[in-house]
Amino acid sequence: MDACQMQRLEQLNRVALTEEEREKALAFFASRFADMEKCNAVDTENTERMVHIFALENVLRADEKKKIFSREDLLKGAPEQTDGYWQVPRLLE
Amino acid sequence: MAVFTVKNENVQGKAVALDDLILTKDYPTAAGSKMLEGFMSLFDAEVVPRLQNAGYGIAGKVNVGEFSLDVLGETSHFGANRDQNGNLVSALSESIKTENAFACLCTDSNGTPRRAAALSGLCYIKPTYATVSRYGLVACVCSGETVGVMAKTADGCAEILSVIAGHDDKDGTSLPQNMIDSAKNADPICKVAVISSFMNGLSADMSEKVNASLASLRANGIEIEEIDDSVLPLAQPAWNTLSAAELCNNISRFDGVKYGYRTANYKNIEELYTNSRTEAFGLLTKMQLLYGSEVLSTENYMPVYDKALRMRRVLCAHFSELFASYDAIVLPACSQTAYVETDTDTAYNESLYTAPASICGLPVAAFGGIQIIGKAFSDYALLSLVKKTEGGAAQ
Repeated sequence: MDACQMQRLEQLNRVALTEEEREKALAFFASRFADMEKCNAVDTENTERMVHIFALENVLRADEKKKIFSREDLLKGAPEQTDGYWQVPRLLE
Repeated sequence: MAVFTVKNENVQGKAVALDDLILTKDYPTAAGSKMLEGFMSLFDAEVVPRLQNAGYGIAGKVNVGEFSLDVLGETSHFGANRDQNGNLVSALSESIKTENAFACLCTDSNGTPRRAAALSGLCYIKPTYATVSRYGLVACVCSGETVGVMAKTADGCAEILSVIAGHDDKDGTSLPQNMIDSAKNADPICKVAVISSFMNGLSADMSEKVNASLASLRANGIEIEEIDDSVLPLAQPAWNTLSAAELCNNISRFDGVKYGYRTANYKNIEELYTNSRTEAFGLLTKMQLLYGSEVLSTENYMPVYDKALRMRRVLCAHFSELFASYDAIVLPACSQTAYVETDTDTAYNESLYTAPASICGLPVAAFGGIQIIGKAFSDYALLSLVKKTEGGAAQ
């Protein structure tokens, strides 16, 4: 990975690194990928992936409408709101 | 920096502190991040009413590293807690040592509470995954994080664990009650293995501390065998890969729109998202979420992320093989007895010791510089073992 690819990754994830931070991130990536290479010493071709530690059964609940929080409550933490809606900048110019 | 981000001065009942990744409707929850500074949850995490209904009071919210990405709390937006010599001191353990709390509930995904207890003379239990509800945690690493208990003694940990453990319908990963109850009837731990390769990178004083605890186990009739093992160290990169991928997904919700930090510096929605996240997340969080995003990319999904998921099965099977010969596995909790300077690699480096139990969801008791990893549902047996050593282990 190079600095350009890292910058692209930043854009996808909506964060921006400074040049100095990007250098550190490239070294961080190189070190993590190198460590993951060590796992290739173990043949896992016939090993199933393990997403959950314990086998999970699907949990179902009754399909009933439930009002948990009011609109007012949900907007309490909003950085900006207008007329009962979250406010964001205009999307279309 | 204060130990508590919010302190309850009028605690009713025996006081239990909560780490600041546990949502509370009466106190703000920040998860150590500028992103959530001042955030008020609309509901309590499941562990909160369980404590309150049993007569315990909430001592307050304890400062943590940002989204648990830390060695001992140093990545918190609210600052690191240090002693007079400049050494990092975990706020989790300080909440108990300063007599402000009988116990502290700690979210454990990368082992911070294990390091904190093992270095401070306290006891800590990371329970078997999914025996304590994760409902109402600030989600970071869902497939392995658990709520653990720190206290002065093993009995203190067992007392609080018995209150918070139990099935919860609100947590889709919560185990059935009969499986959770089986932890109370686990066989006692008589024979343990120490993995020699993990002892090589310890500082001299850490080595001494670990050996003192092993001597205490021996003095209490525990049979200890030293064995070599080349598989368990691979938990470190595998768990870090899974953790990063899950963190990347979990914190993608923080965008400066519905709640949390919003930058003042934006002209359009893209700038609002990017500047809010850039200004609010610390460097380690940014690097970890970027790494998580990269391992989930088309190019890396199969060779890296999928490989880590397969390694989890390899590691769980390997633990099962070890448990056929030993009741528990002993590892150091960390490499040093004190940390002054840390960088963006230190937490990862220390996860060498804590990742094996995290990736397999196994219970761990930490004290006196060591962690004892048991079979699933051996939580109380681990605490009984620690109780035997109390007074004799390295403090």
